[in-house]
Amino acid sequence: MPDLVHHLLANLLQAAFLVFFSPLVSGVLARIEEMLQGKHGPSIFQPYRDIAKLFTKEELISEDSSWVFRFAPRIQFVMPIFVVLLVPALTAYPLFFAFMGDMVAAGFFLALGGFFVALAAMDTGNVYGPVGASRTRMVGFLSEPVFIMVFFSVSYIANSTIPYAVNAAFSASWASSLEPAHLLVLVAFFMLILAENDRIPVDNAAGKTEIAMIGHSKNLEYSGPGAALMKWGGSMKLMLLAIIFLNVLLTPWGLATTMAWSNIFLAIPLVLAKILVFLVVLATVEMSLAKLRLFRISEFLATAFVICVFAMSVRLVGLS
Amino acid sequence: MSPHALELARAFDGFFAALFVLAGLGVIVARQMRGTLYLFMSHALMLSASAVVLAVALHSTHLAWVALITFSTKVVAVPLVLVWATGAKVYGRREVDHVLSVPLSLLIAAGLAFAAWIVSQPLVHAIPARPFAAINLPTGLIAIFFGAFTVAVRREGVAQLMGLLIMESGAFFASISIVHDLTIIAEIAAAVDVPIAALVIGLLLRSIGAVTGSTRVGHMATLHERR
Amino acid sequence: MILPLILILPIGAALLTVAGRRAAPWVTLASALAVLGLAVVAARDVMAAGTLVGAHGGFTLDALGALYLLLVAFVGVTASLYSIGYLEARHREAGRVAPRYRQYYPLFNLFLASMLAVPLLTNLAVMWIAIELTTIFSAFLVAYEDRAEALEAAWKYVALTTMGAMIALLGILVIYYGVHHAGQPPSWAGLVAAAPHIPPAVLLTGFVLALVGFGAKAGLVPMHTWLPDAHSQAPASVCALLSGVETSAALYMILRLYPALARNPGIPDANAWYLVAGLISVGAAAFLILQVTDFKRLFAYSTVEHMGIILTACGLGTPAAHLGTVYQLFAHALTKSFCFYAAGLAAITLGTQRIRGSSGLLGSSPLVGWALLLGALAIAGAPPFAIFISEFQILRAGFGAGEYLATGLLTVFIVVAFIAIVYQIGGIVFRQPAPERAPAHPLPVSSVFAMAIAFLPLLVFGFYLPPPLLRLVHQAAALLGGTP
Repeated sequence: MPDLVHHLLANLLQAAFLVFFSPLVSGVLARIEEMLQGKHGPSIFQPYRDIAKLFTKEELISEDSSWVFRFAPRIQFVMPIFVVLLVPALTAYPLFFAFMGDMVAAGFFLALGGFFVALAAMDTGNVYGPVGASRTRMVGFLSEPVFIMVFFSVSYIANSTIPYAVNAAFSASWASSLEPAHLLVLVAFFMLILAENDRIPVDNAAGKTEIAMIGHSKNLEYSGPGAALMKWGGSMKLMLLAIIFLNVLLTPWGLATTMAWSNIFLAIPLVLAKILVFLVVLATVEMSLAKLRLFRISEFLATAFVICVFAMSVRLVGLS
Repeated sequence: MSPHALELARAFDGFFAALFVLAGLGVIVARQMRGTLYLFMSHALMLSASAVVLAVALHSTHLAWVALITFSTKVVAVPLVLVWATGAKVYGRREVDHVLSVPLSLLIAAGLAFAAWIVSQPLVHAIPARPFAAINLPTGLIAIFFGAFTVAVRREGVAQLMGLLIMESGAFFASISIVHDLTIIAEIAAAVDVPIAALVIGLLLRSIGAVTGSTRVGHMATLHERR
Repeated sequence: MILPLILILPIGAALLTVAGRRAAPWVTLASALAVLGLAVVAARDVMAAGTLVGAHGGFTLDALGALYLLLVAFVGVTASLYSIGYLEARHREAGRVAPRYRQYYPLFNLFLASMLAVPLLTNLAVMWIAIELTTIFSAFLVAYEDRAEALEAAWKYVALTTMGAMIALLGILVIYYGVHHAGQPPSWAGLVAAAPHIPPAVLLTGFVLALVGFGAKAGLVPMHTWLPDAHSQAPASVCALLSGVETSAALYMILRLYPALARNPGIPDANAWYLVAGLISVGAAAFLILQVTDFKRLFAYSTVEHMGIILTACGLGTPAAHLGTVYQLFAHALTKSFCFYAAGLAAITLGTQRIRGSSGLLGSSPLVGWALLLGALAIAGAPPFAIFISEFQILRAGFGAGEYLATGLLTVFIVVAFIAIVYQIGGIVFRQPAPERAPAHPLPVSSVFAMAIAFLPLLVFGFYLPPPLLRLVHQAAALLGGTP
């Protein structure tokens, strides 16, 4: 069955795409932010060098830590790869694993990674780890309902929870992507991306003070290959959410529609270009906002939640 | 016009209506005064955008005028007048105390939006000949409710003023879908009226700031019975 | 043409008062007198011709409008005369010229112009703008004394009435659609003509929005909270205009919607809206007067009560009740302006507005004491003043129409308000004065003179209404009934 083999290969290509380009995405984002601040900034390939260097270093593990500490980086690294098998990263038609799980499953995979990382942070006995872990859990608890609402709203609009089906529904016509409900979901999802990836205004990715960290204090204890996997996994999560945001919700175009390999390879630069534009917008939004105080984060996510409720009710009453 | 083009125009109108509601939601909760000003400007911008869509779809010169007048008064003139009248200092400030917490305000706002939608339905059904009324009437009423709610829950005078102004935008957002031919005199007079109102209320705020040392009008509560 | 001139005069006076500050009071008075003369001429023409049209249809004046125009013009004259001495007396009391003195006369003239515009304009949307401008121009008149309380009152006033105006704007535009849909011009006459053909949902939605919106400005009860504050903090001359005619302007808009509502076959309960809205205001205000501690606030609540009486009277729905409605509108504006003039002088004499702290006014200043007492009796509805006639007419018409419940409630509330007003003011006037007293301030002559002029009509119209005026009132009542 050549179709099946083709789909399987394309699906693996999607995973490879995510794995190989995600450090580049992080590097480009860091560079754009530095440029917006009027600085020169590091090379966009710096994350590759960091990761390569970390793999060659010795890994130090606390004697008091358990298997969870060693296991967490692997989970963090593997979960985004699982998820990218389910979403339309390069092709508009469903691939081999497309129907293995829907968007709720994708959310579950990402949450599982977050869960292990939080456990690992508490495992070592470092004071900052548990602080960061508890704060991450707080943000997580607050963003979970928004996640669920986004999924429900999207599936309600597109009449499906399978990412490929949503993509197909939104790319059907201009009018459908202009729908008020769709727009509101987009805004809420963008706010969610900011919260989930520890960006401003929820957390400062470039911050160096441990006491103010939310997400970044969790990998303080890692060194060598463990740190490399954590870093890589974080980059992949950002890129993955950007892919879902762009390919499924915002701009469901530019994907391969035929099974020709040339077509699929052509989608790579197109998707990267879309991600570049997204990164510029993300960086600009981050630059124009100030980091919120910890207890104001609930307000930020509550806003996202209410926007989702709006999206649902707009759809319910059939305004459009 | 063809049904397909009308469908597209309705889609665009709905898109702007959603942004209009979002900007109104922002005015309810935004802490920084400069932020509320920008949100008000985008709110008014969406009103002009909707007027442009309706003008194109319905081939109405009057609505094109409405769009132009709205843009030049609300997006350009009113913010300038307000910053001049109240003094730029106020806009650098953050409000520290809402009457209600932000999540609660948002939830109530969602309830208000739903109420506005229900309230507007009999009217929408009574106007079958207006293709955009189903979108614009509820949206405009939502903005009116949001504006009144802003005045009720914000203590800062500038934010309350923004609430009044988004109520005005809401009334126009609703009415452009049903009244396509307001006389040009009324349009120009309304255009003059809004900056004058903004000017006077802004100056009043400045006086309040000068006399009481703050523009947080929600804390003024000396006037009542049984002193 | 007369009609544009009525607006041009005060606007011109506003410009002149900006330029020449020394002559400002006299310029204002002269322009107000001229406007009154023109208004009388215009009213006479209306009586002869039915409606007067000016400026290529931009202005229209009918009997109800002419009556309101006369009121504004008359109160404008007495208020501008009263201002001259009153403001000076306030300056003497405070020991300095008020910082906003130079803005007073220009704003006074613009405020007057915006109120004069309401009955003159033809287009409903433009009329809404005139109503909104009355708030805008009077904001700084309320804040005239620049104290924290005055500014607070001004803020509440502006915030709440502007909120109301925005709701009313949507109402007016919805009605505008209805009138246009029925193929009529957007004027009062057009609305009445179009009324039977407007879809009931459209007309009713527009009306409810306008009732809430203009109701906030007229001080109807759930939306009245700003009114006692603004009307107690503004200078007495401004209070007379605010209470006497500005609230009536918003009420005028609500009243003019009545014939349209009554003529639409799809709205069977037009009267009920007016009765309920009116009775809530009358009832709440009557009991609020009992617990008020400031005599300017007392008169402010009495304004709320009278707005309610007028709405209730309109809702009784018979021609006799409409006659009472129009007459009540007329009598209230005259009486209330007189009451505020007396209250302003009483505040100067006593040095306070508090009821508890003031006593023996009749002893310390017999003139002001009598004025306050007569004003209280007149506004409460005692004979032989104009309000007694109008309230009697309303109650008789109500019982005659078989509206026993509404009219009975109205009677009870009027009696409660009567007792409350006379009890509160009686205390100030008759109570034994405190032994140690500040020396009485000299009374400003022009203000006393203005008060005397304001007193004349409410006494005379209690006995006798000149036949031309009576004809105008009858014509206006007929308009309210929907038969032009």
